[in-house]
Amino acid sequence: MNKVIEVKNLVKVYGKRSAAFTALKNVSLDIFEGESVAIIGKSGSGKSTLMHLLALLDRPTSGTIKINGVDSTKLNGRKLNQLRNRSFGFVFQQFFMNPSDTVLENVVLPLKIAGINRKTRRSRAEKAIATVGLRERLKFKANDLSGGQKQRVCIARAIVNDPKIIFADEPTGNLDSATGEKIIKLLFDFNKNKGATLIIVTHDEDLAKLCNRQIRISDGKVIEDTKSKTPQKPSKTTKQSKEK
Amino acid sequence: MGFFETIRTANHNLFRNKVRTFLTILAIFVGSFTIILNVAINTGVNAFIDEQTTALGGDNFIMLMSKDSEAMMSEQMSASTGPQEFTEKTSTLGTLSDQDLKNLKNIDGIDADSFYSPTPLNGTGYITSSKTDKKYNVSSVMILPPGNFNIPLAAGTLVDQTEDAKRKNQIVLPPEYPQALGYEKDEDIIGQTVTFALKDEFNNTFKKFSAEVVGVEANGIVSSQFGMLLSRNLYDEMYAFATKYYPDDYEAPTYYVMATFDNSRYSEDEIKQIISDAGYSAWTINDMMGVIRTFFDVIMIVFTIFGGIALLAAAIGIVNTLLMSVEERTREIGLDKALGMSSGRIFAEFATEAILLGFWGSIFGVAVAFGISSIVNVAVHAPGAFLEVFPTFELFKFTIGNTLPIILTIMFIAFVAGTAPASKAAHKNPIEALRYE
Repeated sequence: MNKVIEVKNLVKVYGKRSAAFTALKNVSLDIFEGESVAIIGKSGSGKSTLMHLLALLDRPTSGTIKINGVDSTKLNGRKLNQLRNRSFGFVFQQFFMNPSDTVLENVVLPLKIAGINRKTRRSRAEKAIATVGLRERLKFKANDLSGGQKQRVCIARAIVNDPKIIFADEPTGNLDSATGEKIIKLLFDFNKNKGATLIIVTHDEDLAKLCNRQIRISDGKVIEDTKSKTPQKPSKTTKQSKEK
Repeated sequence: MGFFETIRTANHNLFRNKVRTFLTILAIFVGSFTIILNVAINTGVNAFIDEQTTALGGDNFIMLMSKDSEAMMSEQMSASTGPQEFTEKTSTLGTLSDQDLKNLKNIDGIDADSFYSPTPLNGTGYITSSKTDKKYNVSSVMILPPGNFNIPLAAGTLVDQTEDAKRKNQIVLPPEYPQALGYEKDEDIIGQTVTFALKDEFNNTFKKFSAEVVGVEANGIVSSQFGMLLSRNLYDEMYAFATKYYPDDYEAPTYYVMATFDNSRYSEDEIKQIISDAGYSAWTINDMMGVIRTFFDVIMIVFTIFGGIALLAAAIGIVNTLLMSVEERTREIGLDKALGMSSGRIFAEFATEAILLGFWGSIFGVAVAFGISSIVNVAVHAPGAFLEVFPTFELFKFTIGNTLPIILTIMFIAFVAGTAPASKAAHKNPIEALRYE
């Protein structure tokens, strides 16, 4: 299997000198194509920092991150933006949508940034919206949707550019368990059908179990990495936690 | 994203907060409206003066005088200086002696044959016609000055300048005289005879002179200054009568001389320099018009400064609006950056918003100024309104040349005002921006 992400000796230090705080301490791991990976940890464990670094939203203090064999720490701003735009999809706990824009306008955003023409991006966005089952809500203002629908719009936005990797940061954190399940199903569907790598950051053990690999972070270190094993099938009995 | 995409997005973002955007545009509108209105009236006034001057011709006309006269005339036109002490040298105007005239005629480039020094006609007189019992004051009376003047006429022709015709008694009347003298239309009086009467102060009688009307002057700020234009013969007859009790050797003092210069060889500035070097002063037709222009220009500058101050306030409004917008949209900016939007792009979008604010404000300003001006331009020419007599005077004049630079300048000011908020937006860290509550 191809390594999509190779991480070596990753260190991230916030602040300087006496105020310095080491959020990640020498983390090394490889993530393979098509894997579903849960990064688990408590608040302040460094799991979010790890995700930000993997998603190239932040630069490590030291160490290397290779995306598809390319050392991202050596990429300039433009290349980095392009890589994120074309290869990554993001789903956040707080959705992050433009509330006064329509569903369509929200989903189209990554394609707009990519510079794809209006016609193409519209048809692609419509397809992505249909995939998440919101075809009838195309022209709705994002603000008028329920929480679950909002997160579905975010998934449509995450998959509209056919990403290689989807980063989901506590995707069910703001949803009730039934709605959360549907969201999770959409993510895993995309993971299976398109072979995209799914990286979920969560503190929810039940959600983590659904992934075929769990990486546990504590105090800035990887304390457990199950490596790939046969993933459990998502089942209706799985409980989604609502607690934060 | 391309150029139009950026504009579309910026415009879309701008109108998300309609009230705030509208108020910002309103502030820019006030400034641009004031400035554009000023520039339009300035253009209108100057165009009218130009039109009048050009129609008049006289670009080879020059008025020659002593340096004292010039200084005094300039002084009179600028400001009152209070009482001045009398000295032997002081006169109301420095006169030109025969020697001075000789010197002036010898200056290269000045046509010696064109010299003409009008002597004021003193005395009491009136003008009337057979069609009316009323008598009217004689306004300023003069002979057509030398130079290529093309005094605009409402009817008829100018007084014939040929030697033959100079011996006839002819007159060109100023506007409104035909009606006062009992003729309905300007054309009706052409070829008719009017009567001048000058009072003999010693006998208390009036001496009458007949003259054929050959033309009527059109209304205009410049042409109306010419008053009644007489043929040489008529003028000389009236002058001889007015001075008949003067001593035989009386010679009226010459205060100034009108002449023409060779404008194919010398520019106005060059001939003035030459005359100045010879120890005299000269005014061209543009110097005379310049007095009117300067007056308007000063007013325009004052109002433009007001407009500029309003614009400065508007620019601060733009900074404020965009800073609030950046603050409000922090998460959105974070998301845009996470999804791969470059800092340059974000800067461009906010800068474009600023430019659009300037654009809408100034377009709005031009449109409203244009609308109001169109009404005012018509209203000032209505019967009884103050510009009724100048039908060609477009008070507010809008051209691409005077509006476009203002719109562009305001857009530029808006851009400059927008750079600080735009750069603040562009430099946001995506993670911190997304965490922002």
